[in-house]
Amino acid sequence: MLGRLYDLTWRRVRHLGAVVLLGEAVTVRLFTPPWSVRDMVRQLDAMGVKSTNLASVIALFTGMVLSLQTAYTLAAFGAKLYIGEVVGLSLVRELGPVLTALMVGGRVGAGITAELGSMTVSEQVEAMRSLGADPLRKLVVPRMVALLIGLPLLVVLADVMGIFGGLLISTWELGLTPSFYFGHTLRLMTYGDFFSGLGKSVFFAFAIGLIASYNGLCARGGADGVGKATTDTVVGVAITVLVLDFFLTKLFLAL
Amino acid sequence: MSERSPRTLSVRQIRKAFGSHQVLDGVSLDVAPGETVVVLGGSGEGKSVFLKHINGLLQPDSGEVEVLGCPVSHLDEDALVELRRRVSYIFQQGALFDSLTVGENVAFPLQEHTRLDDAEVAARVAALLGRVGLGGTERLSPAELSGGMRKRVALARGLALDPEVILYDEPTAGLDPLTGLAIVALVKEVTRSTGATSLVVTHDLAVARELADRVAFLARGTFAFTGALAEAARQEGAVGAFVRAGGVHG
Repeated sequence: MLGRLYDLTWRRVRHLGAVVLLGEAVTVRLFTPPWSVRDMVRQLDAMGVKSTNLASVIALFTGMVLSLQTAYTLAAFGAKLYIGEVVGLSLVRELGPVLTALMVGGRVGAGITAELGSMTVSEQVEAMRSLGADPLRKLVVPRMVALLIGLPLLVVLADVMGIFGGLLISTWELGLTPSFYFGHTLRLMTYGDFFSGLGKSVFFAFAIGLIASYNGLCARGGADGVGKATTDTVVGVAITVLVLDFFLTKLFLAL
Repeated sequence: MSERSPRTLSVRQIRKAFGSHQVLDGVSLDVAPGETVVVLGGSGEGKSVFLKHINGLLQPDSGEVEVLGCPVSHLDEDALVELRRRVSYIFQQGALFDSLTVGENVAFPLQEHTRLDDAEVAARVAALLGRVGLGGTERLSPAELSGGMRKRVALARGLALDPEVILYDEPTAGLDPLTGLAIVALVKEVTRSTGATSLVVTHDLAVARELADRVAFLARGTFAFTGALAEAARQEGAVGAFVRAGGVHG
């Protein structure tokens, strides 16, 4: 029993170490040429542009639900008019980046792992090395750049759509005017709130790219192995985003 | 092509284990310039693992590998990239990049290592595909190709940088006998026309019969025999039994 626990812990520590080393190797390559701009644009389209519908719909309905729930809660204190402040700050500081990272991270992360995993098990990654090319530079860096650019932009979109969702409920259900809602939404919001949400998304993007690439490049044993790696990525991304969010929130509040 | 070393390839006592499984246990082999050595052995004996040590895809736990005068086990990543330009590896299933077309697959090493412009690359790709009998297939996707065609494209990609050493991993695996013979004939023609040193890993004795200047028989982590195929058939034990089972007699 103790032996198995030791093995499991040791395996986890080794995985963590390998992820950190991969992170270091990818970071070095992010800042040193050559870069394949064409691959980066292709990945940005596949990951960012094609995730806009998902991010928009989730943010829109999150904003609407948040407005309904907030109005219900604030009504008990006779403070329903402050709905704009609550919805705006919750979305920009927290829900926009976290929900977008969870949803888009699941979609994009699973895609990265499945693609790199099938390349790994069919020896395409080894073929790339044997042709004198660097798989991290050719495969991981373009995906990482696409995530680092795409996710913050999707978070901005999610913020806008979420606030718009709040506007719909505020005007239809609560009878507030759009100018009143926007006035209150922007009244307490600072650039710091906006950039703390945006800053979080950059860390989330790096974590998603790293977990997804690591699991893909370590996939073994055919379709079964790729499936397992993909599941590991979806679970890993969800846990990492939420844990990271706590520490980043503490960090940004302290700044 | 650069000047050839007196001994193209030299492997000295390499050992490799995965976990507790000792795959290679003191393997040694010398290959002369222009020579074709066929590595024979049953499934799971470590033939592909051995081949991956030659261009540094795997590093030995101990022992030395020297290729074209370069100590593979001691090269840094940049030097390995330089070596891999001169040593081509043809994978068992072709290992073509699924996301690229046939033409883009063959162009990959040219774009990675040369400064040819797009028109020159296209012309070179067309010539290489023509050479392996697949002219005009540039726009096809690898998914549209048969097993034999995939191996031909992989060979075209492997020839793009005029390699001095070509490593073939099971060139006829998964092919019907006729397609297999056609691939062997193509490999033979490539070996003759390029003068490249070749190391062929296979369990198919027809390949050895057609291509081998010498065979090396891998069993239990070491070369149990190296020499002519006919001589191998006269050996006692596993070597002779394996070769005679394939219809080769001394």
